[in-house]
Amino acid sequence: MSSEGADRIAVLQGTLDLIILRTLQTMGAQHAYAIATRLEQVSEDLLHLNQGTLYPALVRLEQQGRIKGKWGRTESNREAKFYAITKAGEKALAEETLRWRRMSGLVDKLLSEGA
Amino acid sequence: MRRSFAKLANLFRSGSAEREMTREIDSHLAMLQDDFERRGLSSEEARRAARRIYGGVEQTKELHREARSFVWAEQRVKDVRYGCRNLLRTPGFTAIAVITLALGIGANTAIFSVVNAVLLRPLAYNDPDRLVTVLHNGSGPVAAANYIDWRDQSRSFEAMGAAEYWTPNLTGNDSPEHLSALHVTQNLLPMLGIQPLLGRLFVAGEDREGSDHEVILSYRLWRRLFNRDPGVLGKTITLNGEGYRVVGVMPPAFKFAPFWAVKAEMWAPMALGNRIHDRGGNSLRVFARLKEGVSLAQARAEIAAITARLERQYPGTNREVAVTPLKENVVGKIQTPLLMLLGAVGFVLLIACANVAHMLLARTADRQKEIAVRTALGAGRGRVIAQFLTENLLLAFLGAAAGLLLAVAGTKALVALSPAYIPRVEMVGVDTRVVLFLLGITVLTAVVFGLAPAMHAADGNLSDALKEGGRGDSDSARRNRLRSFLVASEFALAFILLIGAGLMIRSFSALQSVDPGFNPHNVLSMVVSVEGTKEAEPNRRAVFYRGLLQQVRTLPGVTSASAINHLPLGGDMWDRSFAIEGRPKPRPGESPDAVYRIVMPEYFQTMRLPLRRGRAIAPRDDAREPGVVVINERAAQEYWPGEDPIGKRIAIEDEEGKPMWLTIVGIAANAKQSDWAAKPDPEVYLSALQNHDFLGEGGAYMTAHMSYITLVVRTAGNPADLAPAVKQTVWSIDRNLPISDVQTMDRVVADATAQPRFEMLLLGVFAVIALVLAAVGIYGVISYSVSRRTREIGIRIALGASRTDVLRMVMRQAIVQALAGAVVGLAGALLVSRLLAKMLYGVQPTDPVTFGGVAIILALAALFASCVPARRATRIEPMIALRNE
Repeated sequence: MSSEGADRIAVLQGTLDLIILRTLQTMGAQHAYAIATRLEQVSEDLLHLNQGTLYPALVRLEQQGRIKGKWGRTESNREAKFYAITKAGEKALAEETLRWRRMSGLVDKLLSEGA
Repeated sequence: MRRSFAKLANLFRSGSAEREMTREIDSHLAMLQDDFERRGLSSEEARRAARRIYGGVEQTKELHREARSFVWAEQRVKDVRYGCRNLLRTPGFTAIAVITLALGIGANTAIFSVVNAVLLRPLAYNDPDRLVTVLHNGSGPVAAANYIDWRDQSRSFEAMGAAEYWTPNLTGNDSPEHLSALHVTQNLLPMLGIQPLLGRLFVAGEDREGSDHEVILSYRLWRRLFNRDPGVLGKTITLNGEGYRVVGVMPPAFKFAPFWAVKAEMWAPMALGNRIHDRGGNSLRVFARLKEGVSLAQARAEIAAITARLERQYPGTNREVAVTPLKENVVGKIQTPLLMLLGAVGFVLLIACANVAHMLLARTADRQKEIAVRTALGAGRGRVIAQFLTENLLLAFLGAAAGLLLAVAGTKALVALSPAYIPRVEMVGVDTRVVLFLLGITVLTAVVFGLAPAMHAADGNLSDALKEGGRGDSDSARRNRLRSFLVASEFALAFILLIGAGLMIRSFSALQSVDPGFNPHNVLSMVVSVEGTKEAEPNRRAVFYRGLLQQVRTLPGVTSASAINHLPLGGDMWDRSFAIEGRPKPRPGESPDAVYRIVMPEYFQTMRLPLRRGRAIAPRDDAREPGVVVINERAAQEYWPGEDPIGKRIAIEDEEGKPMWLTIVGIAANAKQSDWAAKPDPEVYLSALQNHDFLGEGGAYMTAHMSYITLVVRTAGNPADLAPAVKQTVWSIDRNLPISDVQTMDRVVADATAQPRFEMLLLGVFAVIALVLAAVGIYGVISYSVSRRTREIGIRIALGASRTDVLRMVMRQAIVQALAGAVVGLAGALLVSRLLAKMLYGVQPTDPVTFGGVAIILALAALFASCVPARRATRIEPMIALRNE
């Protein structure tokens, strides 16, 4: 899918939202840059992501009421928009996580049976 | 597609969101740059690195915008693409669903476009809602003196005018013509607020005798007579032998009057002359425009007060005068049948929806796996429903497109088939309202047939569906119930429609078997007018009529011939009051009256109208002999109960109030008069050869209205074949005699029953569509259920169930569903048929034959539709069925 290297995974549609929600849940309110940095750290660079592509996901999540953004100041005194997960977001995250587990479990099972 | 949405997005791009975005991106870039600087890059290098890592700023902004404003639209586009692919993957399903919907939507659109043109569109006059009629019983003509009093004494109206039917003979052209026209008071046309295309309307003073020889032409007459010559103004045409100057031409869309005399194509000023004192000759139709701010109720109250006063002053002349909105007069009679038809097609659409709904249900069951995967990949319940609704909308719009084609063809057929009685039917067409209606029902249809299956689909349990590896036996009880409900409601709706159609058919056949009293077969009729020709001279009419009939009788194929003033069922009808000799003078308004016919000798013989007693009008009953009259049986019962009327005398007043004494010489059978379904009223037949009015020797008014006769000619063969020969005979006497309304009596009778036939036909067509759809519905459900139960049936057979057991088991399901529907349908039909009661003739709304017949038809349909899949079930081979697992 991505021409930049076979080792890097393109983000599965629908999973980016899940990842963002999870990040905000564990780390508390974060601005986009911090989220992007965190994603890169966790994925050990496996996940290739233009940092700009986070924005549509953030907008979408905010429209769905799963996160809420608020302007504030960073430690280095830069102004930035901090996103926090909402109640609805927590709930959605739980559901999505469950779905994802089931799905990946199923795929795993299918793959191991096939082998 | 995406580009156009992005462009669209610009419209929604709010300034504040845009600033916010720029601010956020700037902050992000600044932090990236800070990081790089910390790692030792120069500020310029850090800035470039930040941009590189970030990706294209403008690209991001664009994505951001799309996400912001068009998450929704983008998803819809995806849904549509996906939906199209899905529909294309199952062309059979798609085709059947689209055809079913097209039938429903097409029928609705066709009927609605008629309803729209006839009922909804305003009349084509200026501010038509303020136009009213002031008439006897809401539609009957009134006398000139009354009109003048109402006009002068009322304050509720801006203007009040009157019109009178006029059928002058146009001569001086290639062939003489009998035109339909109106005499109108000078203020009438200006009151309608339509400007002439050419020339002017009438001006004050033109409705006085002597200055009234002017005409305004309709667009069509202008085209026909003058080939749209713009120099027509000031030219003279010859009407009834007198010159009339053309002063104006009306625009093409102008029609007047809208509910009576609808064929009028010319207007002339009405000079009331000495009729301003006439309170007995009811021949004017009165139209008025309400003053701004005056309500209909106020106008009614005022007219009621005025007519009550006049009634005291002139008893029997001002009763039951009603102010009615003009539109009500135009559409009143057709409103109920049209709304009934609209209701009927609504039912057809509901049945179509139910059919498509369970087709979708079955399909949804087959798509469980797909839905489960989509759900697993993060599609929410709403998203799945949205996807399904999108597919449904696609289906509905495909159906609507096909339905529109059907509707266009159907509307044309409707207009062609529609009897002449439907007013404004020529205006039927597609306008904004029809398009909105089409869009509305399409969306509604999609929701109705699609919502239940879509919700069921979204309910599907993920792991169940996946576990079963797509066999999807997970046909929940709930879904089965829904499917049974759909089939049952289809049968209920079909039941109601079939009852409606059945009642109309029974009513129509009752109407058809009504004896008109005479024998209409093999009779040709035509109107010959003498007005304005030399035959109109008083001393010539009798000679001409007699001579003409004698010549016609000698034509080959003619067995007898006669003439009458007003043809029964096809012509005008006059009611005249009379006095009975030796009885006290009745109170005003309560004198006996009868339908007034004037006939030439041989009339009863030609029409095969049986005489019950006495003799017919004979050639010897001429002006030198004492007056004679034949009455119908109804008149005998009504006015001479328990007496023998033969030999008794009655008196009818002529125009000057002088009594004409007539001796009753015969009693004829009752014949239909103007309304096919009505019981005949008392009727009198006078001898034409001794009637002053008919011979042109009476008063001016009567003479003018008696200046034509309707020939009736009985033939051995096809009466229509004789028309040219009869016409030639007329013209061999005088080339200037106009002939009109050439038609067979069979045609006249058919026209008299045209409305019930039209209603029956349409309702019948809709009922058949409903029946077929319901049968297809039950077929679909049963065969689906058989295919789902293949394994179960296989096991049953393996365990020893006989083929008959299987057949019975499958068909029982169908019968139970149909029966449940029929019970609900029965209740509904009892309610609905009561609404039909007014349109029925000779059949009760609860007619047991209809109800029984419909129940049997539906039961047969259910049996027939289910026996095919049931037989398929019996042929299941147990081993194959089980191995397939």
